Amino acid sequence: MTTLALEFRRGRTLLFWLGLTIVLYTAGMTLFYPQTLSDKEAVDQMLKLWPKEMLAAFSIEGNLGDPGTYFNVYIFSLIWPVIAAIEGILVGTRSTAADLDRGYLELPLATPISRTRYLATTIAVQVVAMALLTVAMILSIVLLGPVIAISFDLPRFALVGVVALAFGCAIAAASTLLGVMTLSRGKAGGIVAGVLLAMYLLQTLSKLAPDLASLSYLSAFRYFAPAPIINLGTIPGGDVAVLGSVAVACWVAALWAFRRRDLIV
Amino acid sequence: MTDPIELAGLTKSYGSRRGVVDLDLTVREGEVFGYLGPNGAGKTTTIRLLLGTIRALAGSARVFGIDSWSNAAEAHRQLAYLGSDPGFLGELRADEHLDYLARLRGVPARAWCPLAERLGLDPAVQIRKLSRGNRQKVGVVSVFMGREPLLVMDEPTSGLDPLARREFLALVAEARAAGRTVFLSSHNLPEVERSCDRVGIIRDGRLVEVAPVHSLLDEHWRSVSLALDEPAGPGIFDLPNVRVVSEAGRDAHLMVRGDVNALLARLATLRVRDISIDTPDIEDVFLRFYGEPETDTTDRVPEEVAR
Repeated sequence: MTTLALEFRRGRTLLFWLGLTIVLYTAGMTLFYPQTLSDKEAVDQMLKLWPKEMLAAFSIEGNLGDPGTYFNVYIFSLIWPVIAAIEGILVGTRSTAADLDRGYLELPLATPISRTRYLATTIAVQVVAMALLTVAMILSIVLLGPVIAISFDLPRFALVGVVALAFGCAIAAASTLLGVMTLSRGKAGGIVAGVLLAMYLLQTLSKLAPDLASLSYLSAFRYFAPAPIINLGTIPGGDVAVLGSVAVACWVAALWAFRRRDLIV
Repeated sequence: MTDPIELAGLTKSYGSRRGVVDLDLTVREGEVFGYLGPNGAGKTTTIRLLLGTIRALAGSARVFGIDSWSNAAEAHRQLAYLGSDPGFLGELRADEHLDYLARLRGVPARAWCPLAERLGLDPAVQIRKLSRGNRQKVGVVSVFMGREPLLVMDEPTSGLDPLARREFLALVAEARAAGRTVFLSSHNLPEVERSCDRVGIIRDGRLVEVAPVHSLLDEHWRSVSLALDEPAGPGIFDLPNVRVVSEAGRDAHLMVRGDVNALLARLATLRVRDISIDTPDIEDVFLRFYGEPETDTTDRVPEEVAR
């Protein structure tokens, strides 16, 4: 509990600012939704003029008046990956690579707390922090429904929240694993950010070139598809399983590696 | 009864970089052990192996019989540690940091208060606002606040002011009096000489000497300058442990090692007008180990002493 409390404390400033950013942005986009809805036909006409590459790059599939498409384009596929990447990389590498680099890690690890317990505690903090950001994002949409006189389907948005959480946890877990393997926050963060960007491009490319469609299975963005959940009520069991498995596998591997490796910069 | 520290055949390297080689060392309960060596000699590597921060390529490090790698958490119940340049969390206040470490180590809350007062540390200040010396005081307080039977410290006094250094030495003496064992690496040789019972000297990753401080000093040559009323007779200084460096008229310069009573008995037969004896300090001993490549560093009269 001691380490847990300290880790929460250390992460609260980052969590506050990321939370504030996502709440303000999401609330703003939600308040703007009725305008898009009322101009649905015009928006549709405008989108027909856009090149298909741009539509694919912004994940615009369907009518922007549909809540699933709208919130996917403006929030879930746009700001959430950025927020999740910042939180995941910074928190995922903080207690290992960053703390070792600053010379702090040896202090708690010279006490009776085991390496496994120490890292497991920081992983718990990652999950809770990511969950809080997810809840903030989803509530910023759903709670504003009455304000804009639109009733959002809470269970469907909650399911989106579950996938968003799994997506964020996968990023945090990969960052944790790379942080333990490289013991360098810069390297781990750079690799995770680079791979995320490559996955995003891969996903876009696979939409444009049907013969490359199978490559999308290698992209995390393929498994984070909120639009059909909101529009059609699809249960994203498979996607959550894939993202969750990646997260759990990375965390387990990180715990295994952290127990065995030399902790020296 | 297991010893607080047992290093057996301990070997570690970092790729092409040397760490420590075949280190054998036992630190006995209740003693203050000084670990000496220049930067890069392997002191910190030894301590990291002792803490289980890094894994030995060969050999073992044990703390009260507990393997410090495979059972690190259990070994850590027996020790308190202060690193050479600990990276405290700057956003915490000193008291928060000390409370945190106290909870992790099972030390009673606020047990550190008297120590902070003694060292003149203001615990209510954020660590990032503390000077280097005051940050080091936080470390010193943290290492002494518990009741662990073994204290491991890497350059514990670096950055401390003279008053705090004096308090530190007093704390070490109190820890020894309480039966605790202290293992400290240091560059501050006079402090080692004052506080340690035994020292180990590491050179190029190998332990080249382990001895009580006083016997180490006794084994080395002391310079004796004599001014006599009349020239000493031939052979007067012919003693197994005495070398005559120079003898000119009524002045003589000798080197003596070990027991001085035989020399004093000879001097008692002479009329001595003046005498000065330069005793080597631990720094001389230490420098001698590093100044000469051969392992037998005690037999030859060192030039800087003989001069």
